[in-house]
Amino acid sequence: MSRFFTTGSDSESESSLSGEELVTKPVGGNYGKQPLLLSEDEEDTKRVVRSAKDKRFEELTNLIRTIRNAMKIRDVTKCLEEFELLGKAYGKAKSIVDKEGVPRFYIRILADLEDYLNELWEDKEGKKKMNKNNAKALSTLRQKIRKYNRDFESHITSYKQSADEDAEKNEEDSEGSSDEDEDEDGVSAATFLKKKSEAPSGESRKFLKKMDVRARDEDEDSEDSEDDEDWDTGSTSSDSDSEEEEGKQTALASRFLKKAPTTDEDKKAAEKKREDKAKKKHDRKSKRLDEEEEDNEGGEWERVRGGVPLVKEKPKMFAKGTEITHAVVIKKLNEILQARGKKGTDRAAQIELLQLLVQIAAENNLGEGVIVKIKFNIIASLYDYNPNLATYMKPEMWGKCLDCINELMDILFANPNIFVGENILEESENLHNADQPLRVRGCILTLVERMDEEFTKIMQNTDPHSQEYVEHLKDEAQVCAIIERVQRYLEEKGTTEEVCRIYLLRILHTYYKFDYKAHQRQLTPPEGSSKSEQDQAENEGEDSAVLMERLCKYIYAKDRTDRIRTCAILCHIYHHALHSRWYQARDLMLMSHLQDNIQHADPPVQILYNRTMVQLGICAFRQGLTKDAHNALLDIQSSGRAKELLGQGLLLRSLQERNQEQEKVERRRQVPFHLHINLELLECVYLVSAMLLEIPYMAAHESDARRRMISKQFHHQLRVGERQPLLGPPESMREHVVAASKAMKMGDWKTCHSFIINEKMNGKVWDLFPEADKVRTMLVRKIQEESLRTYLFTYSSVYDSISMETLSDMFELDLPTVHSIISKMIINEELMASLDQPTQTVVMHRTEPTAQQNLALQLAEKLGSLVENNERVFDHKQGTYGGYFRDQKDGYRKNEGYMRRGGYRQQQSQTAY
Amino acid sequence: MASRKEGTGSTATSSSSTAGAAGKGKGKGGSGDSAVKQVQIDGLVVLKIIKHYQEEGQGTEVVQGVLLGLVVEDRLEITNCFPFPQHTEDDADFDEVQYQMEMMRSLRHVNIDHLHVGWYQSTYYGSFVTRALLDSQFSYQHAIEESVVLIYDPIKTAQGSLSLKAYRLTPKLMEVCKEKDFSPEALKKANITFEYMFEEVPIVIKNSHLINVLMWELEKKSAVADKHELLSLASSNHLGKNLQLLMDRVDEMSQDIVKYNTYMRNTSKQQQQKHQQRRQQENMQRQSRGEPPLPEEDLSKLFKPPQPPARMDSLLIAGQINTYCQNIKEFTAQNLGKLFMAQALQEYNN
Repeated sequence: MSRFFTTGSDSESESSLSGEELVTKPVGGNYGKQPLLLSEDEEDTKRVVRSAKDKRFEELTNLIRTIRNAMKIRDVTKCLEEFELLGKAYGKAKSIVDKEGVPRFYIRILADLEDYLNELWEDKEGKKKMNKNNAKALSTLRQKIRKYNRDFESHITSYKQSADEDAEKNEEDSEGSSDEDEDEDGVSAATFLKKKSEAPSGESRKFLKKMDVRARDEDEDSEDSEDDEDWDTGSTSSDSDSEEEEGKQTALASRFLKKAPTTDEDKKAAEKKREDKAKKKHDRKSKRLDEEEEDNEGGEWERVRGGVPLVKEKPKMFAKGTEITHAVVIKKLNEILQARGKKGTDRAAQIELLQLLVQIAAENNLGEGVIVKIKFNIIASLYDYNPNLATYMKPEMWGKCLDCINELMDILFANPNIFVGENILEESENLHNADQPLRVRGCILTLVERMDEEFTKIMQNTDPHSQEYVEHLKDEAQVCAIIERVQRYLEEKGTTEEVCRIYLLRILHTYYKFDYKAHQRQLTPPEGSSKSEQDQAENEGEDSAVLMERLCKYIYAKDRTDRIRTCAILCHIYHHALHSRWYQARDLMLMSHLQDNIQHADPPVQILYNRTMVQLGICAFRQGLTKDAHNALLDIQSSGRAKELLGQGLLLRSLQERNQEQEKVERRRQVPFHLHINLELLECVYLVSAMLLEIPYMAAHESDARRRMISKQFHHQLRVGERQPLLGPPESMREHVVAASKAMKMGDWKTCHSFIINEKMNGKVWDLFPEADKVRTMLVRKIQEESLRTYLFTYSSVYDSISMETLSDMFELDLPTVHSIISKMIINEELMASLDQPTQTVVMHRTEPTAQQNLALQLAEKLGSLVENNERVFDHKQGTYGGYFRDQKDGYRKNEGYMRRGGYRQQQSQTAY
Repeated sequence: MASRKEGTGSTATSSSSTAGAAGKGKGKGGSGDSAVKQVQIDGLVVLKIIKHYQEEGQGTEVVQGVLLGLVVEDRLEITNCFPFPQHTEDDADFDEVQYQMEMMRSLRHVNIDHLHVGWYQSTYYGSFVTRALLDSQFSYQHAIEESVVLIYDPIKTAQGSLSLKAYRLTPKLMEVCKEKDFSPEALKKANITFEYMFEEVPIVIKNSHLINVLMWELEKKSAVADKHELLSLASSNHLGKNLQLLMDRVDEMSQDIVKYNTYMRNTSKQQQQKHQQRRQQENMQRQSRGEPPLPEEDLSKLFKPPQPPARMDSLLIAGQINTYCQNIKEFTAQNLGKLFMAQALQEYNN
């Protein structure tokens, strides 16, 4: 039996006694009220009776008792359940505990439980015998309790201390364990009294000992102790007794030290610890330490560590009186850079150091070369500040970064003799020799690209509906300005590749912005004289269209990487589409052949492609080209994942399908909110164009069995609308479109119009277009035309003839339009009719079969196939003869079918003429 | 005939439909060994069934109920009925048997015939030849030999001619159902086709003399009815619906045949394979002479013949198609008559 077990059982009986005490409370009268079981801290205040406290503690003790029982019968599952309940109950009692201190019995159970579990864990054979549930519960519980006990470490160690004392004392006093262990039921008052008298003495002794320990351990290496503690709680309990003992004591000491971290002693110890760490135990614990450091960030050690490098290095930056030369500064810079990327380097401090270095360099007039070099490094370390890719820069860092880049650009522009380049080797750098041109290693383009990425990240991570987002968005102008400056710089000095890259960056910041000025200018043809000065000044800025044209053409001509060109083309198309230059946009899209191979591109480019297609579709819609609009939007809308495809949000549905890692990647691909395309607008445009196509089509092919759907999504919406048991006035955009479709089906264009264009829809959709009124007039006209077509399809069978004037009155279209629409229908053989010129009427030919005739035809077809199938069965029985027979039959029937239909038509048309 | 004439009082047109039913019944259900030759329905029952549908049934939903009465010689007299409550999801544990027993007990207390003689069901465009109907009628007929199922067609009735038909399963079908073997062979052996699945029993509607007298009197007093649904020329809707349903069934039939076809092909294929394997085995055995031959049953166990598709469904579908065709035929015949009449009237007026 290990020592643990004995202590465990000892205290177990103790606490079970105390647990019992509460249960017997009503019987025991006054005894129950005495919080014997509480830790000694409460001794002075315990006389006050607090019902809330009693209640809570009773709850706890009851639970503890169940746990004890479960422990006895080795029911770990039960233990786990009860332990969870206990944790909850403890949470409830939190307020009281805060007042009173942690109750001793609670600590006891925690300690005992852990010991017990460790013991079980060690007992391999026992474990094997254990059933599955128990074994599982054991490992869970063990983990849980270890985690949980971390919060109570100090209490537990102090408790264990006292428990040891008690045990010793018990032995000394020859207090037979039989007496204590004997049972939980019969508890005499005597034991209580004994206990009571025992406890304080034990405590006092413990105190003494504690003091002792503290005194003794003060000089000891506290790091050791902590490590030891880690070791023994972490891994095994098979250590020998003495080790255990020592570990515990020292752990206690460390506790005490930790509790008062402000004392000088502690600081010293901590510093010493650091050195120790670095020297002695580095090899053994480096891993562990690193982890600890990561974990402890912001913890109690943080302050000490934060201070250390500063203390260590700041004074040492340059020894007083050292002459500050290029060499020294460069050496220092390298020194600082060495630390970069290593674990445990304080990145914030590094940035500060670098900035200090710049100042020193500037003060000592070391020349621009050095400053540029250091600035490059500052920006790089600013980017490095965040340990992983997902997190975004803090605003102050971001501000610093922008400033820094601006300053760098200032210097570069001011000193055209500085050469900056990635390919300049460290050795061939020329930082101070003023005679030759200065050469500095570093790439301004990469920095700017990185800056752009960071900006995107910031925008992605800001709530788009907050003021904060607006604030961040204001930085966009600055970002653009920087990009422009870099562009100018690179145009002078950079290679074509670099120019392409910066152009693309510029394009990416331009393509989605609607150029209101250019738009205005287009609307009002230049008159020159009447315009004010300011207007002219504004107008002098380059049209974004021209700008895009210039940048893109350059990229088309010079770029050798496919990706940049693809992006540029897409942006160009997007820009065209945004400004309603439909034909240019379409031609560019068709010429680029992107549709064929876009699926091989990487996801961000695909997202861009999707965005472009959508913009193209919306553009077509604005021009009144419903069919093109529908085709462009079909792919995006039919999947039902428009949101995902446009990179405007993740779908909840697929959340289970992807793991954390994938989700992170996808999150990084999201388009910032200010680039979003309004999804409702997109859907509305799609549905309306689908309606304009589908409703006449449906009317024309009402009785056709093999009619195909043009738009599945639209049909889905219609069906949803039909399923509604009670149809109220439409609320959402979809309901509006469905209601409008229904009206259009009847050829009622006015109702349709009022459903599509009204206050609600204006607010939701139409007002979002730059030229809302133009779109609306276009839409009205489309609705009139398509309604006319639908009307003719649906009701042609009712008319013998209809006057075109009536139609033009009904649909408020002028006569030529009506004439052209009907002529087109006749030409396309959609409408079996002829125009009677003198009377301006449409004469129906009535050759379309009626519903019944259609049904009969379909039935005939079906019967044909039925017979065919039946004959196959017959074949099986008849063998080859049947096959011959069938062939003959087949041919015969085919002929017949052909004859029949043809004959029918002929006959009909003959009667019509 | 007298009784039938009496019936004319209650609904203006019932006589015609019953006459038709009777005629057909004779034509089809010619099998002499049937327990019931004629069904005599009380006017009350007819009205109750109509009312039941009016109140509870709508669209494709069907209503059902129990028929009560007694058997007199070879005539089944239905004197009363009561409806089944509509099924809803909430009362899944509703005990039908309990409900029936209690209803019948209660009716007995008020001195009404309480003998269970069958059940009735409404139908939607005559689509009643289903598996459910077959099963329940089988269990009825199994338990009570005389029981019939009354099919009430509310749509036809609404058009002006009461449509009420009594059906029974033929003894042949009863045999097949009892054995629960619907494989092609069993049906072939039973020599059953869709025409001989159900037999229609002629119906006579009977009213008491007092009611008849009252009807006569009322007929004299009342003016000509405003609406003559019977003469309505609008036929397309009804015909279209029927065609649609017919088409659906034909589709089903087609599928069924395709299924059967694949089954046939599979069996023949497997038989060939089996032959090959047997031959191989024989060869093997010849090579290693002296060993005892392996039992052939093993093979047939190894290669289970494909499950033959149950042919009952296709029989039912065929039956259903037949009903539709009858319906359409009847309907078109009537309509043609009407159209000619209308034409004649038109010409006369002109």
